[in-house]
Amino acid sequence: MECCSLLRTLVHRYCAGEEDWVDSRTVYVGHREPPPGTEAYIPQRYPDNRIVSSKYTFWNFIPKNLFEQFRRIANFYFLIIFLVQLIIDTPTSPVTSGLPLFFVIMVTAIKQGYEDWLRHKADNAMNQCPVHCVQHGRLVRKQSRKLRVGDIVLVKEDETFPCDLIFLSSSRADGTCHVTTASLDGESSHKTHYAVQDTKGFHSEEDIDSLHATIECEQPQPDLYKFVGRINVYNDQNDPVVRSMNTFLIVYLCILISKALVNTVLKYVWQSTPFQDEPWYNRKTEAERQRNLLLRAFTDFLAFMVLFNYIIPVSMYVTVEMQKLLGSYFIAWDGEMLDEGLGEGPLVNTSDLNEELGQVEYVFTDKTGTLTENNMEFKECCVEGRVCVPHAVCNGQALPDASAMDMVDASPGASGREREELFFRALCLCHTIQVKDDDEVDGPQKPRDSGKRSAYISSSPDEVALVEGIQRFGFTYLRLKDNYMELLNRDSDVERFELLEVLSFDSVRRRMSVIVKSATGEIYLFCKGADSSIFPRVIEGKVDQIRSRVERNAVEGLRTLCVAYKRLVPEEYEGICKLLQAAKVALQDRDKKLAEAYEQIETDLVLLGATAVEDRLQEKAADTIEALQKAGIKVWVLTGDKMETAAATCYACKLFRRNTQLLEVTTKRLEEQSLHDVLFELSKTVLRCSTSLTRDNFSGLSADMQDYGLIIDGASLSLIMKPREDGSSSNYRELFLDICRNCSAVLCCRMAPLQKAQIVKLIKFSKERPITLAIGDGANDVSMILEAHVGIGVIGREGRQAARNSDYAIPKFKHLKKMLLVHGHFYYIRISELVQYFFYKNICFIFPQFLYQFFCGFSQQTLYDTAYLTLYNISFTSLPILLYSLMEQHVAMDTLKRDPALYRDIAKNALLRWRAFIYWTLLGLFDALVFFFGAYFMFENTTVTSNGQVFGNWTFGTLVFTVMVFTVTLKLALDTHYWTWINHFVIWGSLLFYVVFSLLWGGVVWPFLSYQRMYYVFIQMLSSGPAWLAIILLVTVSLLPDVLKKVLCRQLWPSAIERVQTSRFVSGPPLGSHPLASL
Amino acid sequence: MAMNYNAKDEVDGGPPCPPGGTAKTRRPDNTAFKQQRLPAWQPILTAGTVLPTFFIIGLIFIPIGIGIFVTSNNIREIEIDYTGTDPSSPCYKCLSPNVTPCICTINFTLDQSFEGNVFMYYGLSNFYQNHRRYVKSRDDGQLNGDPSALLNPSKECEPYRRNEDKPIAPCGAIANSMFNDTLELFQVGNASDLMPITLKKKGIAWWTDKNVKFRNPPGTDPLEERFKGTTKPVNWVKPVYMLDSDEDNNGFINEDFIVWMRTAALPTFRKLYRLIERKNDLHPTLPAGRYYLNITYNYPVHSFDGRKRMILSTISWMGGKNPFLGIAYITIGSISFLLGVVLLVINHKYRNSSNTADITI
Repeated sequence: MECCSLLRTLVHRYCAGEEDWVDSRTVYVGHREPPPGTEAYIPQRYPDNRIVSSKYTFWNFIPKNLFEQFRRIANFYFLIIFLVQLIIDTPTSPVTSGLPLFFVIMVTAIKQGYEDWLRHKADNAMNQCPVHCVQHGRLVRKQSRKLRVGDIVLVKEDETFPCDLIFLSSSRADGTCHVTTASLDGESSHKTHYAVQDTKGFHSEEDIDSLHATIECEQPQPDLYKFVGRINVYNDQNDPVVRSMNTFLIVYLCILISKALVNTVLKYVWQSTPFQDEPWYNRKTEAERQRNLLLRAFTDFLAFMVLFNYIIPVSMYVTVEMQKLLGSYFIAWDGEMLDEGLGEGPLVNTSDLNEELGQVEYVFTDKTGTLTENNMEFKECCVEGRVCVPHAVCNGQALPDASAMDMVDASPGASGREREELFFRALCLCHTIQVKDDDEVDGPQKPRDSGKRSAYISSSPDEVALVEGIQRFGFTYLRLKDNYMELLNRDSDVERFELLEVLSFDSVRRRMSVIVKSATGEIYLFCKGADSSIFPRVIEGKVDQIRSRVERNAVEGLRTLCVAYKRLVPEEYEGICKLLQAAKVALQDRDKKLAEAYEQIETDLVLLGATAVEDRLQEKAADTIEALQKAGIKVWVLTGDKMETAAATCYACKLFRRNTQLLEVTTKRLEEQSLHDVLFELSKTVLRCSTSLTRDNFSGLSADMQDYGLIIDGASLSLIMKPREDGSSSNYRELFLDICRNCSAVLCCRMAPLQKAQIVKLIKFSKERPITLAIGDGANDVSMILEAHVGIGVIGREGRQAARNSDYAIPKFKHLKKMLLVHGHFYYIRISELVQYFFYKNICFIFPQFLYQFFCGFSQQTLYDTAYLTLYNISFTSLPILLYSLMEQHVAMDTLKRDPALYRDIAKNALLRWRAFIYWTLLGLFDALVFFFGAYFMFENTTVTSNGQVFGNWTFGTLVFTVMVFTVTLKLALDTHYWTWINHFVIWGSLLFYVVFSLLWGGVVWPFLSYQRMYYVFIQMLSSGPAWLAIILLVTVSLLPDVLKKVLCRQLWPSAIERVQTSRFVSGPPLGSHPLASL
Repeated sequence: MAMNYNAKDEVDGGPPCPPGGTAKTRRPDNTAFKQQRLPAWQPILTAGTVLPTFFIIGLIFIPIGIGIFVTSNNIREIEIDYTGTDPSSPCYKCLSPNVTPCICTINFTLDQSFEGNVFMYYGLSNFYQNHRRYVKSRDDGQLNGDPSALLNPSKECEPYRRNEDKPIAPCGAIANSMFNDTLELFQVGNASDLMPITLKKKGIAWWTDKNVKFRNPPGTDPLEERFKGTTKPVNWVKPVYMLDSDEDNNGFINEDFIVWMRTAALPTFRKLYRLIERKNDLHPTLPAGRYYLNITYNYPVHSFDGRKRMILSTISWMGGKNPFLGIAYITIGSISFLLGVVLLVINHKYRNSSNTADITI
């Protein structure tokens, strides 16, 4: 069962969580193998791109065609008859039935053959159709059938796609293209497609040639509109752990080479004294003697390299990969991150980033659906300055009492009532909601009741909330039938409006309109949109009252929309029709022309009122944000909402506190001041703060600092990001970054999806190269999720696209807390120990070998037996560290959650910095010296057995090795803070395994070995008392400094983590929340 | 994003998965292992826990060290260098290769008597028995009595594999350079008469080497027959089957040979040469007095600046004289005791400060 699920999860790891996928395929872009060190893929065989619509080939025509023909009952019947006639003596000659049958078959075969020949011809034409491919940086023409999976194809305008393609980049600057799918589904409209974010910058053939990526995607499937895949572009890694690992590796490589060089040089220096190189007892062979000195030196150098090569921990990568793979299961298994409502737990789409979760410095979060529930609830509407609140609000479900409402203001007059009804009608009509079909069967007759929530489908939850809210005021939208919108008014009459035009929503206009014709023949234009885009177009209505109400609502964190209308006389409508028609048929700049037309139409409106929809905060969102901030993570909210709404949400979730001083860079402010002035002013304010911050750090009171919050909107941001004419584009950016760095929270509102990614990129590539995390739930967050180092998708209501494109998906925002503070922390601690320990144990392993060269005439004699050399990393010391890296919990999970400040302890790659690395390396060197010289002084010119017999070089090596295995394993045991039975089993088990293996290895004359040098060496060693004493002594000495360092550091300069550990150990209740406690 | 219309761009925009249905399959098992909540012992190295360990280490190591040190000091050992590089040395004449056989005698005095079994070693210096080319230059199959390896030794033995078209037995550089000085010991009696001291040849090699690892070629014929078709190592005077008259100590299982074949770890080493068994409890094995060491000087070490020594040593349970272990134990014991004290002080101070901090909270 376990194995089964493991296998399944393995298969699913890259399929982004779709349950029913059987398999995925991996495509190498441009046929380039992925670089070593990445996941190993099984190369797949793909068929070529030949189109075969023909049925037969030349060879199989006769048998296959005959078979086809005789499958027809009639033919088969005649055939049987014919055969019967042949076999037995029948009244009629076989020819009588045979000839016609033969004739029919013949004719049919010829016909089919001809048809098939035509098909062959058509196929060939298609298959030989030239296609432009990019190969080795050049454009190459290929026949279509010769295309292979992985080829990079260039398609020019109005060309037909030769095969299924993934859109890498386009000649348009924004990386889009327009595609018509007429030949697939008959739809001739142009669909816009976006290039993959990572590759859209590759424009020329040379650029494309440098692209090194693989694409993992699902197998071909019948659904034309669905494609899920993942592109891995290999480029410089910014993962701090991998970066550290690589630097450490380079250091060790340098050590390796210098060791080999030193030894080679010393060897020749040593040999220069006569008779050292070739004493009489140790002659060379003739061939060796003949060899050229340089060549000899070079081979010696290589031999030393081989001898010391174990210093580069090859198995480290395997272990790291294993750790990442297996470790990621703990996230998926976490029961605390399971959402009962959704019934879903976290998803891990990649395991490469587990430890980065512990290094996050910036969190970029979406607001809607991430911080908030995205569970819209109609709160109130404001008609003509009067506020109407639905009476009974019960989680979006109306009570049957349709007329229940609460008029806050005095009851309206007659005209007011008319306006009010118009307002409700407007809301009922001005939307793009579809009504689910199955309800429609009996829908119009039956009054809808509580089950109808699912009946409305819209891409925008706001619309659904509005239409449902209006229902409570007595107006129910029924359906759109034959271009007539039907609605049920307060008196339960069905009103029908003819839908004339829909001026659909776009994010630039931020509004939408419909033009409808009522039953009485009046033509209305209803317009609904953001206040900022409606108010300027209004000429009539109680603008001020409504505006103040809208602003009030926005401050409360409600999402507001304004509704306006305009009555059109038929002539006007004619004009509008013409305008729209002209724009729609325009061949060039259609979008622009349409926008212009809309602009012209949506003017001179009469303001009806405004609506407010509440999007409730997710549970524990505030708690999570607070914890993240305490953990030293900067939280940025990136939203498309307007400033007031967003700011209110930020206050609600404690991103901004009451004492937070807000700095604003908004369009409104920029109208008054130039960007330059604003930025400089702000940076001055902030810098004052940061200087005082350093001062306060000395006095140790930085906790109660004045903290700043920055609000910036999309327009201002694009100003900042825009390169200036004089070329000094970076100026503003740097300034802006400076300001941001000193703000505890940043809110970016009115963001376009791409701007979100831009912001993430800006931070990601700023000086400190911080690790960024983006979390979001909607399609509009995908770009930032992909851009950030760690992308987290909230399995939300706006589809699963974010979850699918993310590295991790969690059901709720609150799970981010455990994800970072617990899992991230653990993974980072584990992997850094893993990396450091690997280097440590290998230097312990190889340094004695190096020292031994000084005592064996630099002859590359190994200190240890081959079996020990091989098995040291593979089996004697591998499992304990792997299990450590899976199980270690230096602090209890609950403590980590309770005390987010502990996260700061590991920030900025703390455990893999040079200091730590040098400490580990020095410790390794020290231990190696202890092993080697301990054994050296033991063996030097004396005997250590009670029968006077002597030991040889293999016993010497075995002693060193034994001490080493014990020391290295016990060192890990000292580092382990969480001893489960598995740790006990593995640590003591691997020591036991070493002993048992050595006993066995030395206990038998192995017939397959050409040498028997280890025979009884280990046992003889154990029979000597001093060897035991030496092992105990040397292990103690090796471990002593590390223990001492640990104890002293903990006592004198304890980190927050150590303090928490100690306090739990000593006094029970944690002191860690008071960082000053022990000062 | 006030209105999430742009969600329409979603390519795969299927509705979110309905709850239920898949929920059961996604629900993780609630085992302690998967939740990372296995019961665990969570030790922490604090001064408090480590302190006793330091003291215990100190208290255990120091007595052990003293014990070892005393034992080591009680061991009698005498080393006599007979290389003969010094012109005044009796063996000086043997440095020139012309004098063969060269016999020289060195006299020495034991100030104290050697009691119990006494072990006679020869020691060589600057002799790289651990040189890679040297270490591998042997054929364990041949030495184990494998008839095919006897006639066709391993390539590792080059250039000591064949001589005059005959396979060398035992092949290789190690065997070829076997130590071949003969050492004899005489006690000078009261009347200046020389009493030879019995030197036992057997029991100097590992039992397993002698009985398992090293074997003569199989057969019941005389040893000479069994080694037929092979030739002696170049530097040897006698073939391998004539190393000793004792059948049980001849051929590959000659103990001098076996001892030599166990390559030493370091360029300065000693190898067991002979045993001097104690006679009875009343007389010391080697009483104090004057002795003669008679050397048949064959083994050239001068060419590579080597030294040759003869060592007489008694043995304790822990082997020969080696002050290192005892001193190391005493040192480490003291250090850890000292560290314990230092930690105690630190711990004491720390506890005070932490206590006051606790109060201030």
